Formats: sequence, C-alpha cells, structure tokens
Amino acid sequence: MNERMNVERGKINVTQLFFCVTGFVEGSVLLVNFAVDMTKSQTWMAVLASIAVAIPVIYSYVALATRFPGLNVIQINDIVYGPILGKLISLYYIFFFALTFSFNNRDIGELYKIFIMPDAPMIFFLAAFAVTCAYAVHKGLEPLARVSHIIVAISFTVMLLIFLLLIDIMDFSNFLPLFDVPLISFIHSVHVITAIPFCESIAFLMIFGSLDKTEKAAKYVIWGLISGGFILLNVAVRNTAVLGNTETIWTSTSFESTRLIDIGTVLTRMDLWVGVIQTILIFFKASLLLYALATSVAQILGLKSYLPILLPLTAIEVILSATVYQSPVDHAMTTQNAGIFYSTPLLYFTPAITLLIAVIRKLPKSKRRKRS
Amino acid sequence: MKNTAVKIATILLMITLLFGCLDGRELSELEIVVGIGIDSADDPDSIKLTAQVVNVSQLGLSGSGGDPDSKPYWNAATTGTTIFEAIRQITHKTGNRLFVPHCEVVIYSKDVAKQGLYKHLDFFLRAIEMRLTSFILIAEGKAGEVLDAKPQTEELPAVNIYNLVKSYGFTSHLYDVTLKEFSSRLISEATAPVAPLIKVVQEGENKDVQVMGLAVFKEDKMIDELNMDETRGLLWVINEVKSGVLIVPTPEESGVAVFEIETAKGKVKPEITDDGKIIMHIDIKLQANLSEQTTAEKLARPEIFEKLQDNMSEVVVQEIMSAYEKSSKTGSDIFGFGDMIHKKYNKKWHEQLEEDWEEIYKTIEFDIKVDSKITKTNLLKNPVTQKLGG
Repeated sequence: MNERMNVERGKINVTQLFFCVTGFVEGSVLLVNFAVDMTKSQTWMAVLASIAVAIPVIYSYVALATRFPGLNVIQINDIVYGPILGKLISLYYIFFFALTFSFNNRDIGELYKIFIMPDAPMIFFLAAFAVTCAYAVHKGLEPLARVSHIIVAISFTVMLLIFLLLIDIMDFSNFLPLFDVPLISFIHSVHVITAIPFCESIAFLMIFGSLDKTEKAAKYVIWGLISGGFILLNVAVRNTAVLGNTETIWTSTSFESTRLIDIGTVLTRMDLWVGVIQTILIFFKASLLLYALATSVAQILGLKSYLPILLPLTAIEVILSATVYQSPVDHAMTTQNAGIFYSTPLLYFTPAITLLIAVIRKLPKSKRRKRS
Repeated sequence: MKNTAVKIATILLMITLLFGCLDGRELSELEIVVGIGIDSADDPDSIKLTAQVVNVSQLGLSGSGGDPDSKPYWNAATTGTTIFEAIRQITHKTGNRLFVPHCEVVIYSKDVAKQGLYKHLDFFLRAIEMRLTSFILIAEGKAGEVLDAKPQTEELPAVNIYNLVKSYGFTSHLYDVTLKEFSSRLISEATAPVAPLIKVVQEGENKDVQVMGLAVFKEDKMIDELNMDETRGLLWVINEVKSGVLIVPTPEESGVAVFEIETAKGKVKPEITDDGKIIMHIDIKLQANLSEQTTAEKLARPEIFEKLQDNMSEVVVQEIMSAYEKSSKTGSDIFGFGDMIHKKYNKKWHEQLEEDWEEIYKTIEFDIKVDSKITKTNLLKNPVTQKLGG
C-alpha cells in the first residue's frame, strides 16, 4: 500500500507553519461579512468565542498528525480505518478540499466582478486565479511556505494602516448595547466563524506530514490560529466601529469601511488596497487548499507525484467554482446555512474520532516508522 | 512536457493582464459627474434628474480667453421613474455612460424630500462607483436651479456647494451630512435623519447659493426645518460644533461681545430615574476668544469675564433648548437620544420605550451644564473706544 510513501518530499519548519496557519486564517477575512448578518455589532465577540471554540478542535488535528509523524491524513485514514473504510473517509476529505477551493476561487471571482471590474466576465477571474494557484502548487510546498512570512507581513501592515487611517471616524459606542443578539444567532455566527476561517485549516492535515519537527507543531499552529484570529478581530472591530448600524446592509463591510477613508480629501479611495490584500490572502489560502486537494487525490490514487493531476484538477475546480453559486446572495446563504450539514462532521468530529480510534487501537503500532 | 506546461501557464498569466481592458473607459469617453440634482417631474410617478457633467475642454478657460458663453459644466437633465433609469436615459443626450465616482453632492428638492427619499436613495448607496462620502442636501426650490448658480470664484457649482458644506465649521450653522450619515440615521429605530438646506439667492444679476439650517425628517420624509441657531443647538449636543460666532450681551447691556468658538466638546449621558423619568445630562465644554466688542467698556477684566462666560453658557443652553423644542413638536429625535438610551438601558428600551419613543421623546428632561472659558482677547487688551465709555 502507499501508506508509507508520501507524495510530498519537501520539508517545512515550524516557524513557516506558524506563518502558513496565520495566512490561511487571514484568507477568510472576507467571511466576517457573513457573520455580521447574524451577530451585527457583536461580531467581534463571535470572533473571540470562535477562537476559543477552535483551539481544542484544531488541537485534535495537530494531535492526530503528531501521533503519525511524517504521514498525511489519507495515509493515516488507511492505517486507522483499513484500506476500504479509510478510503471512503479520505473521499470525504477530498470532497471538502474540492468544494472549499471552489468557494475561495468563487470569492475572488465575486470580489473582482462586484468591486473591481464589473464588466469583465467572471470566468476569466476564476480561470486566472485558479491557474495562478496551480502554478504556486506546482512549485511545491516549500516555496509556498517561504512566501508565507511576506504575505502575513504585508497583510498585517496594510490592515494596521487601514485601521489607523479610519480611527478618526470610528465610534466605539457602536458596539453597544452588548448582548443584544439572540443566543441562537450568536451560536450560528460562532459556528460559521469557527468552521470557515479556523477549522478549514483541516487542510493542514495534508501538510503536517511534511514538517521537519512534527512534535513541536501544536504550539505553532495554535499561535498561528490566534494571530490570524487577531486580524479577523481587528477587521470585525474596525467595520463595526466605522459603519455602525449600516453594517448589515453592505455586500462587503471591509470595502465600505475602507471607502470612507478621507484624509484631507487627498488620501481617499483606498478600497483598492482591500482588493489587493484580499487577493493575496485568498491566493495563499486557496493555494494551500489546492495543494491539499492535489496531494490527497494523488495519495489516494497511489501516484508518485501530484503534478500530473494538478492541471486537470484545476480545470475541474474552475468549472465547479463557475457553477457552484448563481449569485453572491446564493453564496452567502449557502455559507451561512448549508455548511452546517456538509462540513461540520468533518471539521469538528472526524479527526477527533480518528485520533480516538488510534489511541484505542494503540496505533501506530511500530515506532520504527521512518519519517519519509 | 514540463516546458510546455510552463509556457502555457505563462501565456495564460499574460492574458490575465488584458482583463483590465474589458472595463477600460478612456478619459475622452467619460462624462464626469460632480453633482446630481433630483426634482419632481410633471408626471407624479417620475423624477427629473439633473447631472452636472464637467466640460473638461472649458475647465480653466473662463475669464482667460475662452468662449464667454461656454460653461465649464453641462447640466444634463432627463426624467425617469427611478434614479437609475434616469441616469441611463441621460446617455441619449451624452452618448456615454455617466461617470459618478467624483459626484460630490446629491441634492433633492424639498417637494421630493417631503414625499420620501428612500426610493431615491437606494441607487446612490448601491452603485459601485458612488462614494458614501458624497454630501446630501435639500434644495428650497429646484435642485436643478441650485446646480446652475455659477459661483464667482469656483468654476463648477457642484464643487462650490461641496466646499460650502465642507466648511460648515466656520459657523456651525449647518452640518455636513454624508450619504453614510444619512443612511445610518435612516436605519436607526430612533434617530431622525437631517440634511442641510440650500437655496438660490439672487444678488443683482448674479445667482448665488447659500447653505444654512437643516431639514428634519421623520423616517424618510422631510417634515420640518431647523434655523441656524437651532442647527447649532443640535451640533452642541452631538459634538459637531467646530467653530462659529457667539454673540453675547455685555454685563451692562451697553453692547455685545462677539466670541469665536475655539473648541467645543459635547457629552451626553442618559438617565432613567426610579420613577421612570428620562433625564439627559448634557455637558458642554467651550473655549472661546473675544473677537469683537461693540461697547466701550473694558471687558478684559476677570469679574466681567465671569459674567460673559455665564452669558455665553446661557446662549448655548438657549440654542440647545430651541432645537429640542422644535424637534419635540414633531417627535423627531434629531439628537439620537433614543439610541443613547438603547445603548445604556437595552432591556428597558425594548420593554418600555421603543414602541412609544416618539411620544416619550417629548417628555425628556434636561440637565445641561456648560463650562465656558474665555481664553484670549486677541490683539487688544483694551478697546480703542475706552475713553468714550468714561
């Protein structure tokens, strides 16, 4: 069986992992918008609660990977569940990676179609973006991990700059009254934020195996999650403080708040920066997702390399993202509601159950396993 | 194989650079709009939209050898049942789509405002090219006429109006209400929207525009107006007084002392007492300079300053109360007191106040404290006419 042969031979270190997780979480910064519909001015609290909920869930991912150092989740499933059930569960992961990449690709398409180039056909953006991600994935995991520092540094600087430029028009009384949101809406919002920005990092189960020191991963992943969460919190706070009660009417709260920057009537129209940063961040996240998809498909098919299937998979993804939603309204509704059904079992329970079974069955049996 | 894939990927990436051309709009094809006016049309179901389009070729030529009959702007007008329809109808005249990112002002005529603004506001918030920082104004007469009053020092009427509103702080007799501010007040359950009033003033042969006072709305319909002092009464409370002139009687009432407001800070704390009374504690801190006096008295004395400061505080209280009394007649919460109470007393707001807020607003009590300070007397310590006063 191919359980001992990992399709990725590159290695990344734990510092790179920290930046990868931070960048990955930041890649969902657009999502704060979906949560606003449910938690309005209390979205910042939902982000904080989501960080707290996500930490144990993500710890279960890292614990699983640490138990099987050098292996990816497809290999782990084969060991824990056996070749048949293991493959079925692996298909669930692949289904999730495929859908999630298409959603992120769609996010970029909608971003450009609505805010930047309304007259251009969306399929161009979808194809161009997917091909760019495929190019990055083609180069391998190591180059992606190496640029993670730069991506996180740029995004952090721009987000901080936007925050400072808007501080003059922020009204912190917009957060009041506290606890004015029905509990069910708050839980719903926490679920969406936990699932998408944080728990989508389940894709790292295809990456942890390439760590040079898997046993140290937990600390760096959790700190990556917290620092990415801090950026989401900054965006949630900024948008509520700037937009107040109008926050719920806009298609993109981040764009609208940045459009209000007006320093001496000279420094205006900064919203393009949001577009640039979103593109960079979603590129990074989508590339990691495409990497997870390509490596998991290659692994399940027993291929030596994921490169031969990369472009065909990318082509399928372009078509999937072009047809997956009819409009941004459809997109928002699906993200807020349907996600509960298709992704929740995978994100919250599957890795934890796998870990539990591995512990009960005392897997992996041999300590002689070499980290390939 | 590898090289072919790289070549194909490179070609595809280079093609992406051409995507920008799909949305390309050449400068010569742009009809740059700097202001939009909306009036009612003859057909009651339609509106008349006037778009002030910049005539780029005439810009900078007026008074310096250009054609005296040519204006640096063109007010293109059309009618339509909705804003977007009217904006697209204009292409029958312009030949090009209007380019609105530089639209600085949106002006509604008073009769349109009285019928309700919501249906004529949605487009401006929804359109990707519009800016939430554009100002919204209400014209006493026709919005189209306001956009045609050519100012003496500015080439484009809409830009002139923008500058007038932007510099409201010199008097604090109006307020720069942006599309964002207006929509925020419109969404609020309690706070009434306001917008500055603009009118055309005939000065000899010239037409000038004047912006002062505020239109007050109930939901999206204009129902009342605030004069200059009432407007500043509102601004004291919402902490938007930037500067302005305060005219205060001198202690001996032999003339007036005129102060320039240097800084003003307004804070409001709502209180609901045990017996259910609503008290708004308003705390104003004000610093002002003695800029002019019409009496021969020597005002620059500590004991006179004390009295002048009291008089100044009295003027501020009067302005606040006159704004409140005007708005309480219609139950329009222009100050946003309802939202302040909602933020502090969330449960009581939903259980007892929200439903009948309009009536409850009329029963609010006030505890206004104004801390006025005269900080300087500018270049004079004694009036030049001191000896006339003896």
